[in-house]
Amino acid sequence: MYHNALEQCRLADELGFDHVWAVEHHFLEEYSHCSAPEAFLAAVAAQTRRIRVGHGAVVCVPEMNHPIRVAERAAALDLISGGRLELGTARSSTWTELGGFGVNPDDTKKTWDEFVRVLPKMWMQEEFEWQGKAFSMPARNVLPKPLQQPHPPMWVTVTSPGTELDAAHRGLGCLGVSAAGYAEQERRTKEYHRIIQQCEPVGGLVNEQVHTMNFLYCHEDYRQARNVGVPMVNAFNVANAHLYWTREAHPTHAYQTLGNAGAAMKAKKPPADDPSVAKGLPEGVGVGDPEHLVATIKRWESIGVTGINFLLNAMEMVPQEQVLESMRLFAREVMPQFRSAEDAERPVWTPARVEV
Amino acid sequence: MLTGSADIDTLASTAPQLAAFSNEDLDLGDVLCLQLTAEMRNSAREAVLPPSLHPTIPAALSLQALRVQTSPWGAFDLALCRVSCRSGVRARGFSTGGYVSSEAACAGLRERLGFPLTVGEVDFRHGYDGVSLKVDSAVHVEALDPEPMGLDAVQYTGTLNLAHTPMGLRLLQVEMQTSASQVERLRPRILSFDGAAWGNALLAPSQVIAATVSTMHLVLPVVRFVCKADELAFTGTEAVS
Repeated sequence: MYHNALEQCRLADELGFDHVWAVEHHFLEEYSHCSAPEAFLAAVAAQTRRIRVGHGAVVCVPEMNHPIRVAERAAALDLISGGRLELGTARSSTWTELGGFGVNPDDTKKTWDEFVRVLPKMWMQEEFEWQGKAFSMPARNVLPKPLQQPHPPMWVTVTSPGTELDAAHRGLGCLGVSAAGYAEQERRTKEYHRIIQQCEPVGGLVNEQVHTMNFLYCHEDYRQARNVGVPMVNAFNVANAHLYWTREAHPTHAYQTLGNAGAAMKAKKPPADDPSVAKGLPEGVGVGDPEHLVATIKRWESIGVTGINFLLNAMEMVPQEQVLESMRLFAREVMPQFRSAEDAERPVWTPARVEV
Repeated sequence: MLTGSADIDTLASTAPQLAAFSNEDLDLGDVLCLQLTAEMRNSAREAVLPPSLHPTIPAALSLQALRVQTSPWGAFDLALCRVSCRSGVRARGFSTGGYVSSEAACAGLRERLGFPLTVGEVDFRHGYDGVSLKVDSAVHVEALDPEPMGLDAVQYTGTLNLAHTPMGLRLLQVEMQTSASQVERLRPRILSFDGAAWGNALLAPSQVIAATVSTMHLVLPVVRFVCKADELAFTGTEAVS
């Protein structure tokens, strides 16, 4: 599986995809075995030339990741990749993971907040010291420093409604990971863009981007796309639902929803006139023929989404060659509708609004 | 995909009998409710569930205790053991066994909603510093140091009761409609637990997670859906007509 994923990353780089993200999850049988993303991403960085390398989301609780180590690993990845790192931050939503590391769920929002405030300082300051609740440290120079200046763009994964506002207030990018429908995503995206205009950035730049999570299976025949892609989407959602959610296991004010599963169950059915319905496809999902995917992405674009992170496979249900062919077809038929071949060769856009 | 592997015939041999589906909600009035969650050994996670259900990762169980003051059968105390599971993508608890202090309530809850109950002495105590639950040799739990929580802090998942129904052997989806007036989180300890007394010797809590005690208005609404015990919920779920 790891080697298949690396091959997909190399092809994505050649084809002009902008970002590759590696999640951090622990103990999640069948769902995700990506517990050491920094090792995987070091290989990605060494084997690609243009694509941005997304380390995220790093779980920002000290029992799992000490913030100094997060800063060090991220800076090293930024150097190895030639300044292509993006850093996602999160706090985990499953008891499977939090319980495994002995984390008190009440504290994760607070420790996440502390992490996102100290990481930029560790990267930007020659001498950094900290007396906090999650951790403390005497004055040290945290090394290496990242290549990107003032530092790599930072993101927050958004599962629970309201976390997008936490991202906006801090000047962080919004990395959606739950399956919200168009209307819900539009409402949340508008509010995010409104609030981030008055943000107090935690770092040296404001990352005003909204990416959502989606699936990708592209085939010339939409029936074939549906027959392969929809079972993949369903299998992912079922595996996701089998995780033991924090709110279910450990009552706490800090987790108000049942993670991704809760969001997926609340997603409304598409209206009858939605073009997805006629083709038997879920609303807004990147499964279909190229024409359908162009329309779907344009719809997301129209409501303020600036990028889409596609899951290419789930539990290796789709044979690798079909995954690669889907990517090639997407690059050939869909990508040109959104940018020219010359644009696809240029470095990927990154935020440069320096606030310090 | 992880799915249950328990023998259906064995489960069916002790399942309650429903002559008909009730068409009235069961209003239990203001009740005191203890809910305790604990992880179980993964080695038993599939063996304790019917083939229609999926275990959680990690395997887990919940103990629920109710002190009911008003019901069609009068006042009673109840203790129920449930294995945390998924029916399709939905979070549920599969009931493996339980005890209730009243013969009338035992018969009523078995025949109306398929709860796998037997009559037993349920010693459920609530004090200023916590709660205790003791059911003969089946379980002894203490939960201390109450801490006030928000009224919606606790997640009560629906219960799946296996019963012989007019539609055949089915898992009844019994939901809880709750309206809490007080919720406290406590630090629990399981002092003793006998899996066999709760329906399956493989049930063995390995790590206690949390406990809450709530004062709430509780309604168990009419069963709207059932599921075949040997078929995944995606295709095996049926509406009760």
